[in-house]
Amino acid sequence: MSCELSRLLNAVGLMAIGTVLALAFIDQVWFGELPCPLCILQRMGLIAAGIGIALNVIFGPKPSHYGIAIISGIASGAISMRQILLHIVPGTGFYGPAIFGLHLYTWAFIAAVLLVLGCGIMLLDDRQFSRVQPLSGRFSVLSLSALLLFLALTIANIFSTVALCGAGVCPEEVDHYEMFGMND
Amino acid sequence: MMSLPFVLFACAICSAWMRQRGVAIGFWVVGVIAMLILFRIHASDVLSIEL
Repeated sequence: MSCELSRLLNAVGLMAIGTVLALAFIDQVWFGELPCPLCILQRMGLIAAGIGIALNVIFGPKPSHYGIAIISGIASGAISMRQILLHIVPGTGFYGPAIFGLHLYTWAFIAAVLLVLGCGIMLLDDRQFSRVQPLSGRFSVLSLSALLLFLALTIANIFSTVALCGAGVCPEEVDHYEMFGMND
Repeated sequence: MMSLPFVLFACAICSAWMRQRGVAIGFWVVGVIAMLILFRIHASDVLSIEL
């Protein structure tokens, strides 16, 4: 696999992370499902993992960038697993509606596992790290779109979290926007 | 405070875009540490299991 192909595949991966984050945002804004503190932490984990992928897109593939994505993916998966375990005992309820039979925190766990698996598969090919030509400074349309979407969603999450939780830590039960005092 | 990791990650992306790789990784490290501290605080949320 060439360096440029690896960059392209990483751009596709970054776009996939952006899509997951965008869907979570649509669920929050359009359907009024406010994220719990652990849900916000899962978004953080995905964004942290996306930084490793974004570094691959910007600077070209490096094992350290995949390491960043894998460490963040494991952290994100651990947070999702914690929330799954909170609701695993029958009768302990759940958080939010199910989508295709699974709750969002379960989907977040699957996304984290797929991310770590994808990075592991990408790391199997060493040829992407032996760069023959200097790296092109120009981004493809896909890379630029993925980076802009990812940055926009990260910034949107800053404002959303401040609106939900205010300046401090989030309350255990998030049922309204702290900043506006409204339900959705 | 809950938004702090998002701010740090946004700074990491902007640093990377400005070709400051080391700075971007630094922001990522601090962001992950902040995220894990917040996870420690919220890890026992909604723990209402009746045995």
